[in-house]
Amino acid sequence: MNRLVTVAEMTLRELLRRRGVLLLLLLMPLTFYLIRRDAYLGQSVRSLLLGVGWAVSTAALFATTAARELEPRLRLAGYRPHHLYLGRMLGLWTVGLVISVPFFLLPMIDGADLRYGGLAAAMLCSVAVAAPFGMLIGALLPRELEGTLLLLTVVTVQMLIDPAGSGARLTPFWSSREIATWTVDNTDHGYLSRGLLHGLVVTALLAVGVAAVASVRLRRRRHLRHLPVG
Amino acid sequence: MNADDWLRTLTAELHQRRVAADAARHVVAEAATHLREGGGDPWVVFGPPQQYAGAVVESIGTAPGPRPGPVRLHAAGITKRYGRRSVLRDATLTVRAGQIAAVIGANGCGKSTFLRICAGLMSPDAGEVTVSGRLGYCPQSGGTADFLLADEHFVLIGAGQGVARGPARRAGRAAARQLGWEAGGDVQARHLSGGTRQKLNLTMSTLSAPDVLLLDEPYQGFDQGTYVNFWDQLSRLRDTGTAIVVVTHLLNQLDRVDIVLDLTPARETGWHAPGIQGGRP
Repeated sequence: MNRLVTVAEMTLRELLRRRGVLLLLLLMPLTFYLIRRDAYLGQSVRSLLLGVGWAVSTAALFATTAARELEPRLRLAGYRPHHLYLGRMLGLWTVGLVISVPFFLLPMIDGADLRYGGLAAAMLCSVAVAAPFGMLIGALLPRELEGTLLLLTVVTVQMLIDPAGSGARLTPFWSSREIATWTVDNTDHGYLSRGLLHGLVVTALLAVGVAAVASVRLRRRRHLRHLPVG
Repeated sequence: MNADDWLRTLTAELHQRRVAADAARHVVAEAATHLREGGGDPWVVFGPPQQYAGAVVESIGTAPGPRPGPVRLHAAGITKRYGRRSVLRDATLTVRAGQIAAVIGANGCGKSTFLRICAGLMSPDAGEVTVSGRLGYCPQSGGTADFLLADEHFVLIGAGQGVARGPARRAGRAAARQLGWEAGGDVQARHLSGGTRQKLNLTMSTLSAPDVLLLDEPYQGFDQGTYVNFWDQLSRLRDTGTAIVVVTHLLNQLDRVDIVLDLTPARETGWHAPGIQGGRP
Protein backbone atom coordinates (compact mmCIF):
# COMPACT_ATOMS: atom_id res chain seq x y z
CA MET A 1 0.00 0.00 0.00
CA ASN A 2 2.88 2.33 0.87
CA ARG A 3 4.41 1.77 -2.58
CA LEU A 4 1.12 2.59 -4.28
CA VAL A 5 0.70 5.80 -2.27
CA THR A 6 4.34 6.82 -2.84
CA VAL A 7 3.99 6.46 -6.64
CA ALA A 8 0.69 8.40 -6.51
CA GLU A 9 2.31 11.14 -4.44
CA MET A 10 5.32 11.46 -6.74
CA THR A 11 3.01 11.61 -9.79
CA LEU A 12 1.13 14.44 -8.12
CA ARG A 13 4.31 16.29 -7.21
CA GLU A 14 5.67 15.98 -10.75
CA LEU A 15 2.48 17.24 -12.35
CA LEU A 16 2.02 20.13 -9.95
CA ARG A 17 5.56 21.29 -10.76
CA ARG A 18 4.79 21.41 -14.49
CA ARG A 19 3.12 24.76 -13.94
CA GLY A 20 3.25 25.95 -17.53
CA VAL A 21 1.70 22.75 -18.84
CA LEU A 22 -0.94 22.79 -16.10
CA LEU A 23 -1.89 26.35 -16.92
CA LEU A 24 -2.29 25.54 -20.60
CA LEU A 25 -4.30 22.45 -19.71
CA LEU A 26 -6.63 24.55 -17.57
CA LEU A 27 -6.98 27.06 -20.36
CA MET A 28 -8.40 24.51 -22.75
CA PRO A 29 -11.68 23.62 -20.92
CA LEU A 30 -12.14 27.30 -20.13
CA THR A 31 -11.76 28.22 -23.81
CA PHE A 32 -14.08 25.40 -24.83
CA TYR A 33 -16.70 26.74 -22.42
CA LEU A 34 -16.37 30.40 -23.32
CA ILE A 35 -16.32 29.86 -27.08
CA ARG A 36 -19.80 28.30 -26.91
CA ARG A 37 -20.99 30.62 -24.16
CA ASP A 38 -23.23 32.78 -26.38
CA ALA A 39 -24.80 29.83 -28.13
CA TYR A 40 -26.79 26.96 -26.65
CA LEU A 41 -25.81 26.21 -23.01
CA GLY A 42 -25.83 22.46 -23.58
CA GLN A 43 -23.03 22.71 -26.13
CA SER A 44 -21.08 24.94 -23.81
CA VAL A 45 -21.24 22.43 -20.94
CA ARG A 46 -20.47 19.48 -23.22
CA SER A 47 -17.43 21.31 -24.57
CA LEU A 48 -16.33 22.05 -21.02
CA LEU A 49 -16.52 18.36 -20.12
CA LEU A 50 -14.62 17.39 -23.24
CA GLY A 51 -11.99 20.01 -22.36
CA VAL A 52 -11.57 18.50 -18.87
CA GLY A 53 -11.23 15.05 -20.44
CA TRP A 54 -8.62 16.34 -22.89
CA ALA A 55 -6.67 18.11 -20.12
CA VAL A 56 -6.52 15.06 -17.83
CA SER A 57 -5.70 12.70 -20.73
CA THR A 58 -2.84 14.93 -21.81
CA ALA A 59 -1.50 15.13 -18.25
CA ALA A 60 -1.74 11.32 -18.07
CA LEU A 61 0.06 10.98 -21.39
CA PHE A 62 2.92 13.24 -20.22
CA ALA A 63 3.21 11.49 -16.86
CA THR A 64 3.34 8.05 -18.50
CA THR A 65 5.89 9.05 -21.12
CA ALA A 66 8.09 10.74 -18.49
CA ALA A 67 8.06 7.60 -16.33
CA ARG A 68 9.01 5.25 -19.18
CA GLU A 69 12.72 5.14 -18.31
CA LEU A 70 12.25 5.28 -14.56
CA GLU A 71 9.78 2.42 -14.25
CA PRO A 72 12.14 -0.47 -15.12
CA ARG A 73 14.53 0.57 -12.36
CA LEU A 74 11.66 1.00 -9.90
CA ARG A 75 10.69 -2.55 -10.82
CA LEU A 76 14.22 -3.64 -9.89
CA ALA A 77 13.94 -1.63 -6.67
CA GLY A 78 11.06 -3.83 -5.50
CA TYR A 79 7.89 -2.43 -7.13
CA ARG A 80 5.41 -4.73 -8.85
CA PRO A 81 3.83 -3.51 -12.13
CA HIS A 82 0.47 -2.89 -10.42
CA HIS A 83 2.11 -0.58 -7.85
CA LEU A 84 3.37 1.54 -10.72
CA TYR A 85 0.31 1.82 -12.96
CA LEU A 86 -2.28 1.91 -10.19
CA GLY A 87 -0.24 4.43 -8.20
CA ARG A 88 0.11 6.63 -11.26
CA MET A 89 -3.61 6.33 -12.04
CA LEU A 90 -4.46 7.25 -8.46
CA GLY A 91 -2.25 10.35 -8.70
CA LEU A 92 -3.81 11.35 -12.01
CA TRP A 93 -7.36 10.90 -10.75
CA THR A 94 -6.47 13.17 -7.83
CA VAL A 95 -5.08 15.82 -10.21
CA GLY A 96 -8.20 15.42 -12.36
CA LEU A 97 -10.50 15.99 -9.42
CA VAL A 98 -8.56 19.08 -8.38
CA ILE A 99 -8.72 20.45 -11.94
CA SER A 100 -12.46 19.72 -12.09
CA VAL A 101 -13.44 21.82 -9.08
CA PRO A 102 -13.14 25.25 -10.76
CA PHE A 103 -14.87 23.94 -13.88
CA PHE A 104 -17.71 22.56 -11.79
CA LEU A 105 -18.09 25.98 -10.18
CA LEU A 106 -17.82 27.88 -13.48
CA PRO A 107 -21.41 27.27 -14.77
CA MET A 108 -22.68 27.83 -11.23
CA ILE A 109 -21.03 31.26 -11.06
CA ASP A 110 -22.23 31.89 -14.59
CA GLY A 111 -25.78 31.36 -13.34
CA ALA A 112 -26.59 28.36 -15.53
CA ASP A 113 -29.76 26.48 -14.65
CA LEU A 114 -28.56 22.87 -14.56
CA ARG A 115 -28.89 19.61 -12.66
CA TYR A 116 -25.61 20.11 -10.76
CA GLY A 117 -25.59 16.54 -9.49
CA GLY A 118 -25.49 15.51 -13.13
CA LEU A 119 -22.67 17.91 -13.87
CA ALA A 120 -20.66 16.40 -10.99
CA ALA A 121 -21.33 12.87 -12.29
CA ALA A 122 -20.33 13.87 -15.83
CA MET A 123 -17.11 15.47 -14.52
CA LEU A 124 -16.32 12.33 -12.53
CA CYS A 125 -16.89 10.18 -15.62
CA SER A 126 -14.73 12.47 -17.70
CA VAL A 127 -11.85 12.32 -15.19
CA ALA A 128 -12.26 8.59 -14.55
CA VAL A 129 -12.02 7.77 -18.26
CA ALA A 130 -9.35 10.35 -19.11
CA ALA A 131 -6.61 9.11 -16.73
CA PRO A 132 -6.39 5.50 -18.01
CA PHE A 133 -7.07 6.69 -21.57
CA GLY A 134 -4.04 9.04 -21.56
CA MET A 135 -1.97 6.39 -19.79
CA LEU A 136 -2.85 3.75 -22.38
CA ILE A 137 -1.86 6.03 -25.24
CA GLY A 138 1.35 6.93 -23.40
CA ALA A 139 2.12 3.25 -22.84
CA LEU A 140 1.51 2.33 -26.48
CA LEU A 141 3.17 5.33 -28.13
CA PRO A 142 6.64 6.11 -26.78
CA ARG A 143 6.81 9.76 -27.90
CA GLU A 144 4.73 12.63 -26.54
CA LEU A 145 4.13 14.20 -29.96
CA GLU A 146 2.60 11.05 -31.44
CA GLY A 147 0.46 10.58 -28.34
CA THR A 148 -0.74 14.18 -28.36
CA LEU A 149 -1.72 13.93 -32.04
CA LEU A 150 -3.68 10.76 -31.37
CA LEU A 151 -5.44 12.42 -28.42
CA LEU A 152 -6.27 15.38 -30.60
CA THR A 153 -7.76 13.08 -33.23
CA VAL A 154 -9.91 11.28 -30.68
CA VAL A 155 -11.18 14.53 -29.14
CA THR A 156 -11.97 15.95 -32.59
CA VAL A 157 -13.89 12.80 -33.55
CA GLN A 158 -15.71 12.97 -30.23
CA MET A 159 -16.65 16.57 -30.95
CA LEU A 160 -17.83 16.05 -34.51
CA ILE A 161 -19.50 12.66 -34.41
CA ASP A 162 -23.30 12.41 -34.23
CA PRO A 163 -23.96 11.47 -30.57
CA ALA A 164 -27.11 9.59 -31.52
CA GLY A 165 -25.26 7.34 -33.98
CA SER A 166 -24.11 3.88 -32.88
CA GLY A 167 -20.46 4.74 -33.61
CA ALA A 168 -20.52 7.48 -30.96
CA ARG A 169 -20.71 4.86 -28.22
CA LEU A 170 -17.29 3.65 -29.21
CA THR A 171 -15.73 7.01 -28.36
CA PRO A 172 -14.28 7.19 -24.85
CA PHE A 173 -16.03 10.32 -23.58
CA TRP A 174 -19.54 9.46 -24.79
CA SER A 175 -20.57 8.88 -21.16
CA SER A 176 -20.01 12.48 -20.07
CA ARG A 177 -21.80 13.75 -23.16
CA GLU A 178 -24.82 11.56 -22.40
CA ILE A 179 -24.92 12.64 -18.75
CA ALA A 180 -24.48 16.27 -19.86
CA THR A 181 -27.63 15.95 -21.96
CA TRP A 182 -29.52 14.79 -18.86
CA THR A 183 -27.92 17.63 -16.89
CA VAL A 184 -28.75 20.45 -19.30
CA ASP A 185 -31.86 19.33 -21.20
CA ASN A 186 -33.72 17.65 -18.32
CA THR A 187 -34.15 14.49 -20.35
CA ASP A 188 -35.26 11.15 -18.86
CA HIS A 189 -33.10 9.13 -16.45
CA GLY A 190 -32.12 6.74 -19.23
CA TYR A 191 -29.45 9.24 -20.32
CA LEU A 192 -27.95 9.28 -16.84
CA SER A 193 -27.92 5.51 -16.35
CA ARG A 194 -26.60 4.84 -19.89
CA GLY A 195 -23.89 7.43 -19.36
CA LEU A 196 -22.85 6.07 -15.97
CA LEU A 197 -22.75 2.50 -17.27
CA HIS A 198 -20.71 3.56 -20.30
CA GLY A 199 -18.28 5.52 -18.11
CA LEU A 200 -17.83 2.57 -15.78
CA VAL A 201 -17.30 0.02 -18.54
CA VAL A 202 -14.91 2.24 -20.53
CA THR A 203 -12.87 3.10 -17.39
CA ALA A 204 -12.61 -0.59 -16.50
CA LEU A 205 -11.64 -1.59 -20.05
CA LEU A 206 -9.00 1.13 -20.29
CA ALA A 207 -7.59 0.25 -16.86
CA VAL A 208 -7.35 -3.40 -17.92
CA GLY A 209 -5.62 -2.26 -21.12
CA VAL A 210 -3.08 -0.23 -19.11
CA ALA A 211 -2.52 -3.19 -16.77
CA ALA A 212 -1.95 -5.54 -19.71
CA VAL A 213 0.57 -3.26 -21.44
CA ALA A 214 2.43 -2.52 -18.18
CA SER A 215 2.52 -6.18 -17.22
CA VAL A 216 4.03 -7.12 -20.57
CA ARG A 217 6.53 -4.25 -20.62
CA LEU A 218 7.63 -4.71 -17.00
CA ARG A 219 7.40 -8.50 -16.93
CA ARG A 220 10.02 -10.68 -15.32
CA ARG A 221 11.94 -12.05 -18.29
CA ARG A 222 12.19 -15.80 -18.66
CA HIS A 223 15.94 -15.84 -19.24
CA LEU A 224 16.59 -14.32 -15.79
CA ARG A 225 16.58 -16.66 -12.81
CA HIS A 226 16.68 -15.19 -9.31
CA LEU A 227 18.18 -17.19 -6.48
CA PRO A 228 18.19 -16.19 -2.83
CA VAL A 229 21.56 -15.11 -1.41
CA GLY A 230 23.28 -18.31 -0.30
CA MET B 1 48.91 21.20 -4.31
CA ASN B 2 50.32 21.88 -0.82
CA ALA B 3 51.90 19.27 1.49
CA ASP B 4 48.55 18.39 3.15
CA ASP B 5 46.86 17.83 -0.20
CA TRP B 6 49.80 15.76 -1.37
CA LEU B 7 49.60 13.58 1.78
CA ARG B 8 45.84 13.18 1.35
CA THR B 9 46.27 12.09 -2.26
CA LEU B 10 49.00 9.67 -1.22
CA THR B 11 46.69 8.17 1.45
CA ALA B 12 43.91 7.68 -1.11
CA GLU B 13 46.31 6.14 -3.62
CA LEU B 14 47.69 3.69 -1.07
CA HIS B 15 44.15 2.72 -0.07
CA GLN B 16 43.16 2.17 -3.69
CA ARG B 17 46.22 0.07 -4.31
CA ARG B 18 45.26 -2.10 -1.35
CA VAL B 19 48.32 -1.36 0.79
CA ALA B 20 47.62 -2.76 4.27
CA ALA B 21 46.09 -0.06 6.50
CA ASP B 22 48.89 -0.15 9.13
CA ALA B 23 51.62 0.00 6.51
CA ALA B 24 49.88 2.86 4.70
CA ARG B 25 49.55 4.84 7.93
CA HIS B 26 53.24 4.26 8.62
CA VAL B 27 54.28 5.39 5.11
CA VAL B 28 52.17 8.56 5.30
CA ALA B 29 53.42 9.40 8.82
CA GLU B 30 57.02 8.94 7.70
CA ALA B 31 56.51 11.17 4.67
CA ALA B 32 54.80 13.81 6.83
CA THR B 33 57.67 13.77 9.33
CA HIS B 34 60.21 14.04 6.55
CA LEU B 35 58.41 17.02 5.03
CA ARG B 36 57.95 18.74 8.39
CA GLU B 37 61.59 18.33 9.40
CA GLY B 38 63.29 18.68 6.03
CA GLY B 39 60.85 21.11 4.44
CA GLY B 40 60.61 21.41 0.69
CA ASP B 41 57.95 20.79 -1.93
CA PRO B 42 56.66 17.15 -1.72
CA TRP B 43 56.51 17.08 -5.54
CA VAL B 44 60.26 17.74 -5.60
CA VAL B 45 61.13 15.56 -2.61
CA PHE B 46 58.94 12.51 -3.41
CA GLY B 47 57.52 13.17 -6.87
CA PRO B 48 53.83 12.81 -7.80
CA PRO B 49 51.82 11.00 -5.07
CA GLN B 50 50.63 8.36 -7.58
CA GLN B 51 54.20 7.58 -8.57
CA TYR B 52 55.36 7.46 -4.95
CA ALA B 53 52.45 5.16 -4.06
CA GLY B 54 53.47 2.91 -6.95
CA ALA B 55 57.04 2.76 -5.59
CA VAL B 56 55.72 1.92 -2.11
CA VAL B 57 53.61 -0.92 -3.53
CA GLU B 58 56.62 -2.30 -5.39
CA SER B 59 58.65 -2.16 -2.23
CA ILE B 60 56.24 -3.52 0.42
CA GLY B 61 53.52 -5.17 -1.66
CA THR B 62 49.80 -5.07 -1.08
CA ALA B 63 47.49 -6.67 1.41
CA PRO B 64 45.72 -9.70 -0.04
CA GLY B 65 42.23 -8.75 -1.17
CA PRO B 66 39.30 -10.54 0.35
CA ARG B 67 38.74 -13.91 -1.29
CA PRO B 68 35.93 -13.78 -3.84
CA GLY B 69 32.73 -15.21 -2.44
CA PRO B 70 30.02 -17.30 -4.06
CA VAL B 71 28.82 -16.69 -7.60
CA ARG B 72 26.37 -13.77 -7.69
CA LEU B 73 25.91 -13.33 -11.44
CA HIS B 74 26.22 -15.96 -14.12
CA ALA B 75 25.36 -15.03 -17.69
CA ALA B 76 25.79 -17.92 -20.11
CA GLY B 77 25.58 -18.06 -23.89
CA ILE B 78 23.95 -14.64 -24.32
CA THR B 79 23.05 -14.08 -27.94
CA LYS B 80 21.15 -11.09 -29.27
CA ARG B 81 20.25 -10.04 -32.79
CA TYR B 82 18.60 -6.85 -34.04
CA GLY B 83 17.06 -7.95 -37.31
CA ARG B 84 19.85 -9.59 -39.27
CA ARG B 85 22.61 -7.89 -37.29
CA SER B 86 24.06 -10.04 -34.57
CA VAL B 87 25.06 -7.86 -31.61
CA LEU B 88 26.04 -10.48 -29.07
CA ARG B 89 27.10 -14.04 -29.74
CA ASP B 90 27.46 -16.54 -26.95
CA ALA B 91 28.73 -14.00 -24.40
CA THR B 92 29.45 -15.49 -21.00
CA LEU B 93 30.34 -13.85 -17.71
CA THR B 94 30.59 -15.07 -14.14
CA VAL B 95 31.04 -12.61 -11.29
CA ARG B 96 31.46 -13.59 -7.65
CA ALA B 97 30.74 -11.61 -4.50
CA GLY B 98 33.59 -9.14 -3.96
CA GLN B 99 34.62 -8.89 -7.62
CA ILE B 100 34.46 -6.11 -10.19
CA ALA B 101 33.98 -7.08 -13.83
CA ALA B 102 34.54 -4.63 -16.65
CA VAL B 103 32.64 -5.02 -19.92
CA ILE B 104 34.64 -3.39 -22.68
CA GLY B 105 34.49 -3.20 -26.45
CA ALA B 106 34.09 -0.93 -29.42
CA ASN B 107 31.05 1.32 -29.91
CA GLY B 108 27.97 -0.65 -30.87
CA CYS B 109 29.39 -4.03 -29.85
CA GLY B 110 26.51 -4.66 -27.44
CA LYS B 111 27.91 -3.62 -24.04
CA SER B 112 24.74 -1.83 -22.93
CA THR B 113 22.57 -4.56 -24.47
CA PHE B 114 24.49 -7.18 -22.49
CA LEU B 115 23.97 -5.23 -19.27
CA ARG B 116 20.26 -4.70 -19.95
CA ILE B 117 19.89 -8.42 -20.56
CA CYS B 118 21.68 -9.15 -17.27
CA ALA B 119 19.31 -6.70 -15.53
CA GLY B 120 16.28 -8.44 -17.08
CA LEU B 121 15.21 -5.31 -18.94
CA MET B 122 15.56 -6.97 -22.31
CA SER B 123 15.24 -10.57 -23.51
CA PRO B 124 18.09 -12.29 -25.35
CA ASP B 125 17.55 -14.55 -28.35
CA ALA B 126 19.46 -17.24 -26.52
CA GLY B 127 21.18 -17.75 -23.19
CA GLU B 128 20.24 -17.28 -19.57
CA VAL B 129 21.25 -15.23 -16.56
CA THR B 130 21.25 -16.34 -12.94
CA VAL B 131 21.40 -13.72 -10.22
CA SER B 132 21.82 -14.45 -6.51
CA GLY B 133 20.35 -11.73 -4.35
CA ARG B 134 19.20 -8.24 -5.08
CA LEU B 135 19.99 -6.50 -8.35
CA GLY B 136 20.87 -2.81 -8.81
CA TYR B 137 21.14 -1.12 -12.21
CA CYS B 138 22.41 2.29 -13.27
CA PRO B 139 21.70 3.26 -16.90
CA GLN B 140 24.05 5.35 -19.04
CA SER B 141 21.60 8.25 -18.92
CA GLY B 142 17.97 8.86 -18.00
CA GLY B 143 16.44 6.79 -15.26
CA THR B 144 15.57 9.83 -13.15
CA ALA B 145 12.40 11.94 -12.96
CA ASP B 146 12.90 15.48 -14.25
CA PHE B 147 10.52 17.19 -11.85
CA LEU B 148 11.45 15.41 -8.62
CA LEU B 149 14.07 16.45 -6.06
CA ALA B 150 16.97 14.16 -5.17
CA ASP B 151 15.39 13.38 -1.78
CA GLU B 152 12.16 12.38 -3.50
CA HIS B 153 14.09 9.94 -5.70
CA PHE B 154 15.58 8.40 -2.55
CA VAL B 155 12.13 8.11 -0.97
CA LEU B 156 10.76 6.50 -4.14
CA ILE B 157 13.54 3.90 -4.29
CA GLY B 158 13.36 3.35 -0.51
CA ALA B 159 9.61 2.70 -0.61
CA GLY B 160 10.24 -0.14 -3.08
CA GLN B 161 12.24 -1.87 -0.35
CA GLY B 162 9.80 -0.94 2.39
CA VAL B 163 12.21 1.65 3.85
CA ALA B 164 10.58 4.61 5.62
CA ARG B 165 11.06 8.12 4.25
CA GLY B 166 13.51 9.47 6.84
CA PRO B 167 15.98 6.57 6.66
CA ALA B 168 15.70 6.47 2.82
CA ARG B 169 16.56 10.17 2.61
CA ARG B 170 19.46 9.81 5.04
CA ALA B 171 20.83 6.75 3.22
CA GLY B 172 20.59 8.56 -0.12
CA ARG B 173 22.37 11.65 1.16
CA ALA B 174 25.11 9.54 2.74
CA ALA B 175 25.65 7.59 -0.50
CA ALA B 176 25.72 10.85 -2.49
CA ARG B 177 28.32 12.26 -0.08
CA GLN B 178 30.63 9.35 -1.01
CA LEU B 179 30.65 10.87 -4.50
CA GLY B 180 31.38 14.32 -3.14
CA TRP B 181 27.81 15.57 -3.60
CA GLU B 182 25.55 17.17 -0.98
CA ALA B 183 22.18 15.97 -2.23
CA GLY B 184 19.79 17.58 0.23
CA GLY B 185 19.09 20.70 -1.85
CA ASP B 186 15.83 22.01 -3.22
CA VAL B 187 16.78 21.45 -6.87
CA GLN B 188 14.72 19.42 -9.30
CA ALA B 189 16.60 16.74 -11.26
CA ARG B 190 16.12 18.61 -14.56
CA HIS B 191 18.12 21.55 -13.16
CA LEU B 192 21.10 19.41 -12.11
CA SER B 193 24.22 19.42 -14.28
CA GLY B 194 24.86 16.32 -16.38
CA GLY B 195 27.51 15.03 -13.97
CA THR B 196 25.43 15.65 -10.86
CA ARG B 197 22.46 13.97 -12.47
CA GLN B 198 24.62 10.92 -13.05
CA LYS B 199 25.62 11.03 -9.38
CA LEU B 200 21.92 10.89 -8.54
CA ASN B 201 21.53 8.01 -10.98
CA LEU B 202 24.43 6.13 -9.42
CA THR B 203 23.27 6.85 -5.87
CA MET B 204 19.82 5.45 -6.71
CA SER B 205 21.33 2.20 -7.95
CA THR B 206 23.35 1.63 -4.77
CA LEU B 207 20.57 2.69 -2.40
CA SER B 208 18.84 -0.66 -2.25
CA ALA B 209 22.12 -2.30 -1.09
CA PRO B 210 22.25 -4.62 -4.11
CA ASP B 211 24.20 -7.89 -4.10
CA VAL B 212 24.80 -7.45 -7.83
CA LEU B 213 25.37 -3.94 -9.17
CA LEU B 214 25.23 -3.30 -12.93
CA LEU B 215 26.64 0.05 -14.08
CA ASP B 216 26.42 1.25 -17.66
CA GLU B 217 29.15 3.90 -18.05
CA PRO B 218 27.75 5.78 -15.07
CA TYR B 219 30.54 8.37 -14.93
CA GLN B 220 29.43 10.47 -17.94
CA GLY B 221 30.01 14.11 -17.06
CA PHE B 222 31.96 13.39 -13.86
CA ASP B 223 34.85 15.72 -13.07
CA GLN B 224 38.24 14.24 -12.18
CA GLY B 225 37.62 14.29 -8.40
CA THR B 226 34.24 12.59 -8.71
CA TYR B 227 35.68 10.04 -11.10
CA VAL B 228 38.28 9.11 -8.46
CA ASN B 229 35.54 8.99 -5.80
CA PHE B 230 33.52 6.74 -8.09
CA TRP B 231 36.26 4.12 -8.33
CA ASP B 232 36.90 4.44 -4.59
CA GLN B 233 33.25 3.73 -3.95
CA LEU B 234 33.35 0.72 -6.25
CA SER B 235 36.34 -0.57 -4.27
CA ARG B 236 34.43 -0.09 -1.01
CA LEU B 237 31.38 -1.90 -2.39
CA ARG B 238 33.58 -4.71 -3.63
CA ASP B 239 35.14 -5.01 -0.19
CA THR B 240 31.70 -5.39 1.35
CA GLY B 241 30.97 -8.32 -0.98
CA THR B 242 29.02 -6.68 -3.80
CA ALA B 243 29.48 -8.19 -7.25
CA ILE B 244 29.89 -5.31 -9.70
CA VAL B 245 29.71 -5.22 -13.47
CA VAL B 246 30.72 -1.92 -15.05
CA VAL B 247 30.56 -1.08 -18.73
CA THR B 248 33.54 1.08 -19.59
CA HIS B 249 35.57 2.28 -22.52
CA LEU B 250 38.31 3.73 -20.30
CA LEU B 251 40.96 1.04 -20.49
CA ASN B 252 43.29 2.84 -18.05
CA GLN B 253 41.06 1.69 -15.17
CA LEU B 254 41.30 -2.01 -15.96
CA ASP B 255 43.98 -2.58 -13.33
CA ARG B 256 41.26 -1.93 -10.75
CA VAL B 257 38.99 -4.72 -11.90
CA ASP B 258 39.09 -8.47 -11.43
CA ILE B 259 37.50 -9.69 -14.64
CA VAL B 260 37.38 -8.24 -18.14
CA LEU B 261 34.81 -9.21 -20.72
CA ASP B 262 35.70 -7.90 -24.17
CA LEU B 263 32.71 -7.86 -26.50
CA THR B 264 34.59 -6.61 -29.54
CA PRO B 265 33.33 -8.83 -32.37
CA ALA B 266 36.76 -9.49 -33.89
CA ARG B 267 37.72 -11.53 -30.88
CA GLU B 268 36.16 -14.57 -29.38
CA THR B 269 33.47 -13.24 -27.09
CA GLY B 270 32.82 -14.23 -23.56
CA TRP B 271 36.33 -14.73 -22.38
CA HIS B 272 37.23 -14.34 -18.80
CA ALA B 273 40.74 -13.13 -18.18
CA PRO B 274 41.59 -12.06 -14.64
CA GLY B 275 45.06 -10.65 -14.45
CA ILE B 276 45.76 -11.05 -18.14
CA GLN B 277 43.87 -8.32 -19.96
CA GLY B 278 44.23 -5.75 -17.22
CA GLY B 279 42.24 -7.59 -14.59
CA ARG B 280 43.55 -7.03 -11.07
CA PRO B 281 46.07 -9.78 -10.30
